[in-house]
Amino acid sequence: MTTALTQGLERIPDQIGYLVISEEGVLASAGELENDEHTAGVIMQMVRTACRFRLHGAAEPLFKRMSVMFEDYVYAVTISGQKVFVVKRQNNQREPVIV
Amino acid sequence: MGCCFSAGSNQDDPKKLLIPDPNLNKIPTNGSDRNADSLPSNRTDEQALLTTILQRPALNIIDVSAVISQGLEQHEYMDRARQYSTKLDVLSRTLSQKKPVPLPSLSSQPHQVLAADLVSYADVQQVSKIAAYAYSAISQIKVDAKEELVVQFAIP
Repeated sequence: MTTALTQGLERIPDQIGYLVISEEGVLASAGELENDEHTAGVIMQMVRTACRFRLHGAAEPLFKRMSVMFEDYVYAVTISGQKVFVVKRQNNQREPVIV
Repeated sequence: MGCCFSAGSNQDDPKKLLIPDPNLNKIPTNGSDRNADSLPSNRTDEQALLTTILQRPALNIIDVSAVISQGLEQHEYMDRARQYSTKLDVLSRTLSQKKPVPLPSLSSQPHQVLAADLVSYADVQQVSKIAAYAYSAISQIKVDAKEELVVQFAIP
């Protein structure tokens, strides 16, 4: 089962690590996020808070993916089937150069 | 001082104060008993008048500190404290048994969602700018004190 979860994450472009988290704890981890329970805990709190934002009392959460952006990398987070998927990707975007 | 008393026509007259007091009959007296004293002396009436002056505000004043200190008896207080803490225990037990909100499902294709293009640089810049504006606006919120918060009661 873990392979099914992680196979898709492995193939994500620029990925340098990932986590699969459930209510009970970390189900899978790899790359720079391997065994990183601290990051898992922080991201769980962030995504739970984000899920509480509702527009005018709508039933569904507002977003599909939460991105935590740093200068050189990004944590992309989503939830599917009671599991939180986190992937750490390189952030190569820079300010466009005007020539 | 001497004693003045005359029998006859004066006996039927109602006893009057030298200084007439309109509130006289409404206020119960606790001190001097005017009726027993048939001597119309200035001193007694003055005393009576002073007593009346004292009694009027004493009846009208509501002593707040006295009201507050009308507390419960010790055993009553203990009983209530026990009752309340039992009720709280029951409630806190039922609250902790409530299941935490389950995680909503944001997508059925998590890998696709995560592999999609990252947020563009322009979007990040715009969000940063908006957040900076919001921060600046919030930091400018201040209290505009127009009046004193605490005032003295002025009793004329």
